[in-house]
Amino acid sequence: MTKFVIRRLLWTIPVLLLVILFTFLMMRQIKGNPFRKSERAVPAAIQANLDRKFHLKDPWYEQYANYVKGVFSADLGPSLVLRNQSVNDIVRSHFPISLELGFYAFLFAIVVGIPLGMISALRANKPTDYLAMLVANAGFAVPSFLVATLLIYYFAVKWDVGVPTSGWRTWQSKILPSIALGFFPMAYFARLVRGTMLETLQQDYVRTARAKGLRWRRVVGLHVLRNSLIPVVTAAGPLLGAVITGSFIIETIFAIPGIGRYYVSSVSARDYSVTMGLTILYAVIVIIGNLVVDILYGFLDPRTREART
Amino acid sequence: MVLNPQQEEFRERVALRQEGGVTAGAPVRQTSLWKDAWHRYRANKAALIAAALFIVLLLYVTLAPILSPYDPYAVDFAQAYLPISWSHPLGTDQYGRDLFTRVALGGRVSIGIGFAATIAIMGIGIVYGSVSGFLGGRVDNALMRFLDALYGLPYLPFAIIVTQLFQTVNFWVMVIALTIASWFTAARVVRGQIMSLKENDYVRAAHAVGARWYRVLGRHLLPNTLGVLIVFVFLELPGVILGEAFLSFIGLGINPPQASWGSLAQDGRDVYLSHPSMILIPSIAIAWLILCAFFIADGLRDALDPRTRET
Repeated sequence: MTKFVIRRLLWTIPVLLLVILFTFLMMRQIKGNPFRKSERAVPAAIQANLDRKFHLKDPWYEQYANYVKGVFSADLGPSLVLRNQSVNDIVRSHFPISLELGFYAFLFAIVVGIPLGMISALRANKPTDYLAMLVANAGFAVPSFLVATLLIYYFAVKWDVGVPTSGWRTWQSKILPSIALGFFPMAYFARLVRGTMLETLQQDYVRTARAKGLRWRRVVGLHVLRNSLIPVVTAAGPLLGAVITGSFIIETIFAIPGIGRYYVSSVSARDYSVTMGLTILYAVIVIIGNLVVDILYGFLDPRTREART
Repeated sequence: MVLNPQQEEFRERVALRQEGGVTAGAPVRQTSLWKDAWHRYRANKAALIAAALFIVLLLYVTLAPILSPYDPYAVDFAQAYLPISWSHPLGTDQYGRDLFTRVALGGRVSIGIGFAATIAIMGIGIVYGSVSGFLGGRVDNALMRFLDALYGLPYLPFAIIVTQLFQTVNFWVMVIALTIASWFTAARVVRGQIMSLKENDYVRAAHAVGARWYRVLGRHLLPNTLGVLIVFVFLELPGVILGEAFLSFIGLGINPPQASWGSLAQDGRDVYLSHPSMILIPSIAIAWLILCAFFIADGLRDALDPRTRET
């Protein structure tokens, strides 16, 4: 097991290097000048100085090597557009907000989604099940910008229950965005739990447990739930990554100063270093998510250890 | 021993006949497979309704712009924000354009991007996955490690970067970006299928009688992955459609006045307090399509691949 974990950990290094290389090479292909603020062209002398300052005219492999060195010493370089701000500054002041939003959204998804799936499976093909699955299917199909808009429209405006429509300061302001972002993973968990639980309920050991007189509540809690949650663990990693990297829609709608908004604005402003740094940050999140899942899965289901290295 | 193609085919047929498989040149079996699938699909009521609703949606987006008397791009502020009525079944937007026509036009773009990208994803997935699964060994290992690395890329941010490689973002740029950002799973699915089919006796028999690799692949392996791939098209479609909608919604995809469901929702975003229907309608269209795709995939899975039936 230790060997598996170490091998899996070491494997993330070439993955990260490749991801940085892809991002790096793609960013080099993008046209447009970040220094051109207005219609006027940047004077040649200033452009030359800027190029020198940001090492933009070095050969690409040197730039890449420098950049990789920077990434591994946790330095993502300066912003090309925002004066005196480094990408690290942006990450430091705005990433915690995105992380917090992602965390609450995920919490909502787990706390609501798993019980919803359980109820649905235990009351399979009854009205409760249909209602729960209606909610889950809606969460699956309705785009998050509509969920967000509807939440604002009803809770913040029409009924005015004391939640603001935007910002990220008070706890009230955090409720709606977290629900809006967590709606999709909630639906995902509900469907997943329902499916696996229905399957587990038909297993022989469940029947045995029932036959020997174990109380139903204990059977569900001890045998069924435990085995039904393995797929949830597997799905949770990539989903958490998707929630954090996909939060820019919600951040834009609720005017939350997270990195998602910076990502979008850096793309339009051609601020390469910010776009690149944030992409790599997102990639690291996704990679960590996959890593944690693989390792957890190795613990939960020993059969997969060999195949997944 | 070198065999000419006729000999090769003959030996293969003999081998097939001996193992009690298909008799040479008997198309009867082929049709009965699809008939069988249709029979199983029909039993799934939800999938049947979903297929019907899907066809309704396709008819709407194809026919409405042709039959509509309104110009979808003509601005007329006197006609702005008209409520739902017989002449404007979905009302008009802030520029006085008929929404019934524009949502259909947007649907053409969104569904078009969805299918084009999904087909491209399948194409790349089939080539990559079958090379990897068929050759196996070192090649497979290298290709799969490369795929692992790509899995580290975040979907939407990656798609955004790809769109920025082009001067303007249009239909085909969106297709390219969404394809590049999401073909990995398809490759894995195809590879998994090929890997498991490869071990079957009929494949070994084909190899044993001297069938060339392209014949084994084209005749025995790929046709058997077809069922799984058709299901996968409908599973992949929602992700691509949502990807388009998200990018267009934040202004980095299809931009107004060009209509797509994402850009229509973007139009509606600024006025959601006074006219919520403007964001509601394109979103419902998206949800409609996704739910249809979802139940169709469910029905197709039961119909085409009964072994992997889910509870």
